[in-house]
Amino acid sequence: MAPTSSLLLRVVISSLVSTPGWTLLSDWTQTSSSAPLEPHFTDCVSREQETFRCWWSPGIFQNLSSPGDLRVFYLKKESLSSEWKECPEYIHSNRECFFDRNHTAIWITYCMQLRSQNTRYINEDDCFTVENIVRPDPPVSLNWTLLNVSPSGLSYDVVVIWTPPPSADVRVGWMRIEYEVQYREINTTNWEALEVQPYTKQTIYGLHVGKEYEVHIRCKMQGFSKYGDFSDSIFIQVTDIVTEEPLMFILVLVLGIVGVLILIMLIAITQQHRLMMILLPPVPAPKIKGIDSELLKKGKLDDLNFFLNGGGFGGLPPYAPEFYHDEPWVEFIEVEAEDRDGGGKDDSLTSDTQMLLGLTQTGCHHINLGCSNALGFPNNNLGQTSCYDPAVLEANSLMLMGSLLPGQPEEEEEEEKEAASFNDIKRCPTSAESDENKHNPVQPTWINTDFYAQVSNVMPSGGVVLSPGQHVRTQESSSTTEEETRKKENIIETEEKKQTKLLVVNPEGNGYTVENIRSPPPSTSVSPTEYQTVEPSPMSRSHGNQSANIVPDPPRCQIFTPVADYTVVQELDSHRSLILQPPPPPPPPQQSLPSCVPLKVPIGYITPDLLGSLSP
Amino acid sequence: MAAFQQSVWALVLWPSLLTASTMLGCRDDGSFSRSTSISQEKLLERVIHHAELIYRVSEESCTLFEEMFIPFPMHLQTNQAAYTCITKTLPIPSSRSEIQQISDKWLLHSVLMLVQSWIEPLINLQTTLDRYDNAPEMLINKTKWVSEKLISLEQGVMVLIKKMLEEGMLTTDYNDEDVFQHGAQPEMMDSVMRDYNLLSCFTKDAHKMEAFLKLLKYRQTDKYNCA
Repeated sequence: MAPTSSLLLRVVISSLVSTPGWTLLSDWTQTSSSAPLEPHFTDCVSREQETFRCWWSPGIFQNLSSPGDLRVFYLKKESLSSEWKECPEYIHSNRECFFDRNHTAIWITYCMQLRSQNTRYINEDDCFTVENIVRPDPPVSLNWTLLNVSPSGLSYDVVVIWTPPPSADVRVGWMRIEYEVQYREINTTNWEALEVQPYTKQTIYGLHVGKEYEVHIRCKMQGFSKYGDFSDSIFIQVTDIVTEEPLMFILVLVLGIVGVLILIMLIAITQQHRLMMILLPPVPAPKIKGIDSELLKKGKLDDLNFFLNGGGFGGLPPYAPEFYHDEPWVEFIEVEAEDRDGGGKDDSLTSDTQMLLGLTQTGCHHINLGCSNALGFPNNNLGQTSCYDPAVLEANSLMLMGSLLPGQPEEEEEEEKEAASFNDIKRCPTSAESDENKHNPVQPTWINTDFYAQVSNVMPSGGVVLSPGQHVRTQESSSTTEEETRKKENIIETEEKKQTKLLVVNPEGNGYTVENIRSPPPSTSVSPTEYQTVEPSPMSRSHGNQSANIVPDPPRCQIFTPVADYTVVQELDSHRSLILQPPPPPPPPQQSLPSCVPLKVPIGYITPDLLGSLSP
Repeated sequence: MAAFQQSVWALVLWPSLLTASTMLGCRDDGSFSRSTSISQEKLLERVIHHAELIYRVSEESCTLFEEMFIPFPMHLQTNQAAYTCITKTLPIPSSRSEIQQISDKWLLHSVLMLVQSWIEPLINLQTTLDRYDNAPEMLINKTKWVSEKLISLEQGVMVLIKKMLEEGMLTTDYNDEDVFQHGAQPEMMDSVMRDYNLLSCFTKDAHKMEAFLKLLKYRQTDKYNCA
């Protein structure tokens, strides 16, 4: 009874007193204890939760250091009537008391005590439960394998695997163990600790090639806080593993290239043209999307017209030739229809031009070739000289553009065709034009433009002057489609309507209007001479007419300063550079003439074949 | 519709968020016969898994409580002597050798007794925790979860006893006894310390349950090799 009461009293006292520090069993780093000078226990540890040991130290009492001077007693708090018992097994060499399996109980508090001959050195905090002092042994059989390498070949990942400590009965589940893997680069001081996890493998990411790493692992029980010792380290190093692969790769690449070269040379030597075409296909010449060059070659005008007029997929923007019949100020180029029937060689090019510009096929189409200008067109390869005329030049540009269509390297024949058609164009009578003009009602809307309209000048008001003599295409496709099918022509021009049209773009508005300055046509049925503001499109109609355009001059024959937007390519010199035709001087105004001096019309394009033809 | 289904699933699975498996719980007393369609091994597995989870969560709760409310010198680790969890009545094995010596029946009964002795105190702990001013939500949730899972663990163990030992349903009279004794000086502790003691003792007992069940399983599966 007395021991029980003394025990109770002891427990009560211990609960009352809250003394700092102590602890035999918590981490030494946390203790703020005064180093006990008297004999005390240094540590009690269990490795596998089935046995445990305790070590003591005599402190400064060296006279108690010999074995037997100090005795270990323990109290197992199983019940209120527990007694102090002596250590079941001493290991004096270590100053150790070992508790075997029969003396080890889990979940029960043990209290330890040192006793000398006549003194009891009691530290009330030398109490513990065995599961709380378990520090598992380190894992064994550490090994690593390479997981993968980064594409750059500079870093890699490894998987470290190990087996649980043999002393820990993990298989039964008596102990549930978690592992903490730590690694560091050799000869550095900081260990990288990975997350604690219960599996016997761990991936380490981002190791660097060429560096050596050291890895070690320690264990603890799940749900408890004490770690065991670290395992022996293993060393990981990967040295430049990339060399092998690129070598093979390079070898394969080189062999492949050599093989291909040999094949090509063989083919070139044997001159198998078919294979040559496959291996080294000819460079394609420019084509116009939606236009089949074969159609042009075969002179299938109708089909081509269809394509050009937007009926096909991706055709050119449609024209509205009927819009322009009553507007003599719109300058068009007509291609003579009769020439189409003659000579097959003419067909393609006239049809080229027609198709390009959407010229009508019915009746005669004229190209305004008012040759009032005396400037000859020293064209060696075009055959005959023609009037240097804006219209002429434009026709020439049309020729050139038309010759773009085939897209294939041209031969001499083509050039002659161009020349012939060029001449043919001149001969077209003008009488038919009027008929056409009457036939086609004009809807004053937008006028046709050429592919591009170059800005030649900017008005002080802000309006932009586009290059004259270029045809403005309408943007009303809906109304054009009917016309297209009906007339199949996009540009109509009368011989008398040689006024150039000035396209003034009003930057203030959303669209732009057209100021047309025309000279009075000599004999045309429809020849409005006043200014006409043309709405660019139905859409912009709502924005109102932008009438803030500058009217440069009275609507009579105007003389405009020639704008050097394009220049005629005269020839190629020996160095394959273009020699440009100097712009012609502006002709003197001739009001009496029915046709004003039109502005110089630049040539739009030069095709490779013409380029070749220009070379000396 | 998919979102609704997912929300329904989430609601259904919310109680099991903390657990990886649910007990094949037959909450109704009269439906035990129906629920014994699971095989014994599977049931034992589930029971063990339950016990593992209960121990883990209770240990986390204890640590949380310790961090929040207990000054360091009074921590369990540092002041073991002050805390004793003494259970009366049936002697429960306390070492591996003891555990290996006792029979299956005794192991199972020990587990059942432990479980049943803790159901009531845990429920009481929940109410006291609610009265705390600044008890973290997680702590409250965890203790609630543990008490719920303890009830299903009890049922699972009872089914296991019935299957394994072919006994009838034992009347659970353990609850009535004052099995648990919080240390030796309950009057000296304020409520915080008492709750701390309760939690730590429960954690220890949860560890016990887990160990018992695992050894039982080992014994079952390895009848010939078990030392």
